[in-house]
Amino acid sequence: MRQFVLGLVLVLGGSFAGCRKEVAAAPNERQQPLILAVPTNGKYTGAFIDFGDTEDNVTLDGIEDFETMVGKHQAIIASSSYWGEQRFPTRNLEIISRHGSMPLVFWSPWDKPYLQNRGPDRFSLREIIKGTWDTYIDRWADSARAFGKPMLVSFANEMNGEWFPWSGWFYGANKPVPGQPNEWQGPETFKKAYRHVVDRVRARGAKNIQWVFHTNNYAEPNETWNYPAAYYPGSNYVDWLGMSIYGQQVGGDDWSPVEPLITWPYDQMCAVDPTKPIMVAEWGVGEFPRHGDKAKFISEGLQLLRTQYPRIKAAVYWSERWQNDDNTYSNLRVNSSVEALAAYKKGIANPAWLGRPLFKPQK
Amino acid sequence: MRPKMSDSSDRTSFVFSDPSGRRWPRLRRILLLALALAFVGVVLFARTLFVTPQMRLPLNLRHLKGQLKSLQKANPAAAPKPVQARVPLWEKFLAARRASRKATATPPPPLVVRKAGTREVHLAFYRNGDPYSYASLEQHASQITHLCPEWMSVVNGMGDLQIDADNRLPKLTAAHGIALMPLLTNLLGDTWQPEAIENLANADSARQQHFFQNVLGALRNARAAGVVIDWQDVDPAYLDRIGDFVGHFADALHRDGRELWVCVNPGEPLALSDSDKVVEKADRFVALLYDETSEDETPGALSSRPWFEGWLDSLLADGDPDQWIIGLGSYGYDWTKGQPKADQISFAEAMSRASYAEVPGFAAGAPDYNPTFSYDDGDDEHTVSFLDATTFLNELRSARRKKAGGIAIFRLGLEDSAIWDAIPLPPNARPDARMQSELGILKGTDTIADIGDGEVVSVDESRADGLRAIGLDASGNFTATYKQFPEFPTLYHQGGGKPHEVSLTFDDGPDPKWTPKILDILKAANVKAAFFLVGVNAERYPNLVRRIVAQGHEIGNHTYYHPNLGACWPEHIRLELNATQLLLETITGRSTTLFRPPYGSDTSPSGLNELIPLKIAQDLNYLVILENIDPQDWARPGTDVIVSRVKQERRDGNIILLHDGGGDRSQTVAALPRILDYLATRGDTVVPLSTLMGTTRDAVMPLPQAGEHAMVRIVSGTGFRVLRDIEELLWAFMIVATALTVLRTLLVVWLATRFRRRANDFAEPVSVLIAAFNEGKVIAATLRSVLASDYGAGLEVVVIDDGSTDNTATEVEGFACNDERVRLLRQTNFGKAAALSRGLAAARHDIVAFLDADTHVQPDTLRHLTRPFADTRVGAVSGHAKVGNLRSFLARCQSLEYICGFNLDRRAYTRWNCVTVVPGAISAARKEAVAEAGWLSLDTLAEDTDLTLSLHRKSYRVEYAPEAIAWTEAPETVRALARQRFRWAYGTMQCLWKHRDLTFNWHYRALGWFSLPSVWLFQIILVAISPLVDFLLLVSLPFGIWGAVLPFVVIFLAIDLFIAVLACLLEGEPVIGAWRILPMRLIYRPLLSYVIWKASFRALKGVWVSWAKIERTASVPART
Repeated sequence: MRQFVLGLVLVLGGSFAGCRKEVAAAPNERQQPLILAVPTNGKYTGAFIDFGDTEDNVTLDGIEDFETMVGKHQAIIASSSYWGEQRFPTRNLEIISRHGSMPLVFWSPWDKPYLQNRGPDRFSLREIIKGTWDTYIDRWADSARAFGKPMLVSFANEMNGEWFPWSGWFYGANKPVPGQPNEWQGPETFKKAYRHVVDRVRARGAKNIQWVFHTNNYAEPNETWNYPAAYYPGSNYVDWLGMSIYGQQVGGDDWSPVEPLITWPYDQMCAVDPTKPIMVAEWGVGEFPRHGDKAKFISEGLQLLRTQYPRIKAAVYWSERWQNDDNTYSNLRVNSSVEALAAYKKGIANPAWLGRPLFKPQK
Repeated sequence: MRPKMSDSSDRTSFVFSDPSGRRWPRLRRILLLALALAFVGVVLFARTLFVTPQMRLPLNLRHLKGQLKSLQKANPAAAPKPVQARVPLWEKFLAARRASRKATATPPPPLVVRKAGTREVHLAFYRNGDPYSYASLEQHASQITHLCPEWMSVVNGMGDLQIDADNRLPKLTAAHGIALMPLLTNLLGDTWQPEAIENLANADSARQQHFFQNVLGALRNARAAGVVIDWQDVDPAYLDRIGDFVGHFADALHRDGRELWVCVNPGEPLALSDSDKVVEKADRFVALLYDETSEDETPGALSSRPWFEGWLDSLLADGDPDQWIIGLGSYGYDWTKGQPKADQISFAEAMSRASYAEVPGFAAGAPDYNPTFSYDDGDDEHTVSFLDATTFLNELRSARRKKAGGIAIFRLGLEDSAIWDAIPLPPNARPDARMQSELGILKGTDTIADIGDGEVVSVDESRADGLRAIGLDASGNFTATYKQFPEFPTLYHQGGGKPHEVSLTFDDGPDPKWTPKILDILKAANVKAAFFLVGVNAERYPNLVRRIVAQGHEIGNHTYYHPNLGACWPEHIRLELNATQLLLETITGRSTTLFRPPYGSDTSPSGLNELIPLKIAQDLNYLVILENIDPQDWARPGTDVIVSRVKQERRDGNIILLHDGGGDRSQTVAALPRILDYLATRGDTVVPLSTLMGTTRDAVMPLPQAGEHAMVRIVSGTGFRVLRDIEELLWAFMIVATALTVLRTLLVVWLATRFRRRANDFAEPVSVLIAAFNEGKVIAATLRSVLASDYGAGLEVVVIDDGSTDNTATEVEGFACNDERVRLLRQTNFGKAAALSRGLAAARHDIVAFLDADTHVQPDTLRHLTRPFADTRVGAVSGHAKVGNLRSFLARCQSLEYICGFNLDRRAYTRWNCVTVVPGAISAARKEAVAEAGWLSLDTLAEDTDLTLSLHRKSYRVEYAPEAIAWTEAPETVRALARQRFRWAYGTMQCLWKHRDLTFNWHYRALGWFSLPSVWLFQIILVAISPLVDFLLLVSLPFGIWGAVLPFVVIFLAIDLFIAVLACLLEGEPVIGAWRILPMRLIYRPLLSYVIWKASFRALKGVWVSWAKIERTASVPART
């Protein structure tokens, strides 16, 4: 009798697994290239972890310490690949992949010393479009293909702001493109560069990459020409839509509750493309006990992200502390306070937050 | 019936006689030849062990010292930093503080009036776990007023503490009147925890109270005078809240009678001295005026003059100077170019580097006064910057001029020892001769300096004093000109490897069960490791050694017997290394230059004596490989624990130590795949040790030159095999002997307790036979005791005078005249057996009792002795001999021996009718049975044993009568005892040989299978071998197997004691005397063994042994 029940369970379980499109297999055991599946139930939880002084130095110890701290394995681990380094971060990605997480790479075309608000440098969008950096892009793509395991790439994120050198703001901003209504030079330059990069990488056969079109939740300046839709390079060039959602980051700013930071930008993003899944590729808030309650921000944020926005399929928390020019600190870490950590732990403990990536065969 | 009288001159017919006289010479020739061969073998073998293998180590691995080179570079400290050039940070700091005061319109806080310190505070920072820190504290305790040891960390915003205290300190500080001020940081591992402080400052008062109570609890436990807080990385935005929080903290401490001292780091965003609350409440501020250039910056000054003066002025500008303790550094940093972080080094280590790199002398003076130099280690450029006694003196004078409350010294164990001479210098001190000798002579002490990075270490023991000239320049600052650098014993480290390289090492193998499993795992993962082999194991499993090498792994020397080298003589260490090396060469055809000392858990030797084994190995051209990831898998903490320890320690280490031998390694085998997986996930590459050292496998495991040492290896290989066989034989012998002893003891005890006395009446006349040879002193007393017997059925005493040359005959005749029961027979000297035969022939009665001439009987003895003859099957009865002359320790020992022998063995043997001897001293026999047994034979020395065994042959029973007590005289000197025992041993051997067909003869059951084999084994073989075993055990003591032998020794002694106690109980003797059995072993073991060997030689030679009897002393007191 017991054997019969056991057999039944196996048969049922097997047939159930067969019904599912997603295959929960380790990526390196694949027969053909795998990519990240969009979960039908639940959302991925992930993090950018404060690994130290640079944003591109991933360590397994850091990942494991973070996971121990928050009490959950991370489906997505974010890290950066700066063009100024002129190399592909194989080591970082191997660590993340082997650890059983999905790597999310911010592939940012800027140069040392990687400081914001400085404007375009030798990696400006125009140089990219001109083909100045094609050799580097090809080499990077070849390394990505050699790496072979699924990876998410967010190229030139938060382009609708004015702090990164690849923002439309620096490339003619709202100057109209002659003869084209509803087209502005800033966004159009960005789209060209984006398509140029994706086309070259795809041409090198790096099919393991899924592309994330990653904007800031609110454009700065918040004008039509600077809206995500103006920057969207097209469905063919994008696998995931991504947004950054930050609460108060520095002492001088104002505190905002979390809901308005998500809802309006979410609706705006949904309209950009009706089918693509959306990920919160970065979110976080500083610890400013006099201004607002970080723990509340986090628990509400996790609750809303989990229940209110069906197209959001992943949320990557930006857990970092940095020092500002006035010597004060911005502490976005999940453990900036006992209460914040408790809220984050409790929030992501919900089983709807998936701690392991699911993979599916490409096409 | 008359006994056949043998011809007294026929001395060739005795057992073991060799009429031809050829046996011994022939045997001796064979023995000599064998001995000579064995000797030559041993000499050859021993010689091979002292042949130092010729290993050709790459020069760069061996002589790290030669690779350090001085670099002439511009002084990085002298180059002012661009930011500082514009507006120095301390000025900004002061301006900001004043501005904030103005803005908030708070007046400067009123100067709190403090009790002026009667004594300048000398606070010393102390590092846990650093033996030099402790040594310095002990040495300079009289100059220290306050001690600040690492103690507590705030773990989180809940105010939980991690306490890591040195528990020796409360006592030590109390003894020297030093106030203990433990350090409370927010540093956890390598990471500051700003959140912990920020959270606490923002938390409600309950949580803050929880934190205060935690700290107070720890301080009370430590009997501390207060606490020093050093909180870094904290967000200055919280200054007001943190100020309040620290104020509450100070209140809580004050209520408990303790002080709060607050560290102020120049340049830290948050300066607690900016908070009026803290200024008001804190007892002291400690300004840490060093680390101007921190370890993770590019090289620079640690505390330049302008920087120090600037900060000193700024910090003390508005407050009470007495509240301020000025922290002065005395340490150094060594920056390796291309590495993110500098190594913190001691002054001694800075000197060692300068000395070995042969840095030319240099001067430290204006503008920064900060000594610095650069060198090259063959791979990388280094810059060293350090603070010495001169910088210390300059800063000390500044602090005193400012009337600061005192100084803090960072830190004990790193400091230039001359600072202790600088502290008492008067304010007007000048660089005179006294100062030159106190501060200028750099003493090369026993402090061990570490140079380099990695766990491959080599030692340089040289030591020399150095010299620097102290000057005073125009600006009033002291300068130092280094002329000659002192040398300290130095430990060079290499094998730091690249950041993502890690090596796996396995110790104590090979092991037939675990090593193959580990090799399989490594093969599957395509990983090469290093195996540090123990010689004995390699000898036992050479195929495993070959397999290890064949699979591409490296092998290393882990000594032959795995002794603790700290307790070994240098020659012994060399032997261990050479023997293992030869063995590995024999097995694999390769040498190995890798060596790891056994029990090497102490990876950073802190005493010179710990360096000796390393030095010896190094002189033999070995590379000493230590380890820094030690999950202690040998202790079997559980697979998960092993893995997690590796994970934790991998953050700082690159050589993993696991074990494939020496016990159950199932946990190691289970952990290994997980460790490999973890390392791979981590992005590490597992590399052989040679890669870590930047060389090749062939370089660390060189192939010997063709033909080199071939003969040596054959000889040593054979030697090792023989040694191992001997060892195994020894163990087998120990185990079997112990088992048999235990079995026999149990059987004897069981049988002895089942002994039944005969209760019946027997009344037949008895003839008492006494053979006497020169017994004049004792015979009278003996006769008196016999004649006083209460034996009612008729008694005669026949004394046979065996040709005595003294008054024996006269004495006896005196009795014979007065008592017709006494008869005297006389003969020329033929020996005891002949005399007794004569007596037997003359005896009138059918029951004959044998009595020694020196042995007294009790009145009831004869009655008890003859009682068993009521049974007609009984042929002989043993009486119960006791030692009568209990005057000496030796006699008491023999008494105990008799008690044991009679009460246990004889009782037990009687139960199974297998008594091997009825003692000649007191026994009785049926004359008819003696006749049937062939009378008394003259061909052995032990006619009593011979007779007993002969009676057994004729199926007579031999019984024991415990109540038939006779008091005999025991030898009182060792020499006499040895002579007696030799006679017994020889006689026993003769009888055993004569009656050898009885042994293991089914016909004689208990006699053939129990009592006679017992005699063979326990009285002859074991006794003969025991000194050999003892010797080998002594020899093996240094090899650390004492622990394994001890149980056997304990078992043997316990059995002895058990038997003695039981025998005393049965005898009714005081049990307390049983302790003598233990020292008795010490005398008996060598003595008995000696007589057995002597008897054996005599037997082989076929020499007759004469009747050597003890010198009578008439020491047995007469009893009634």
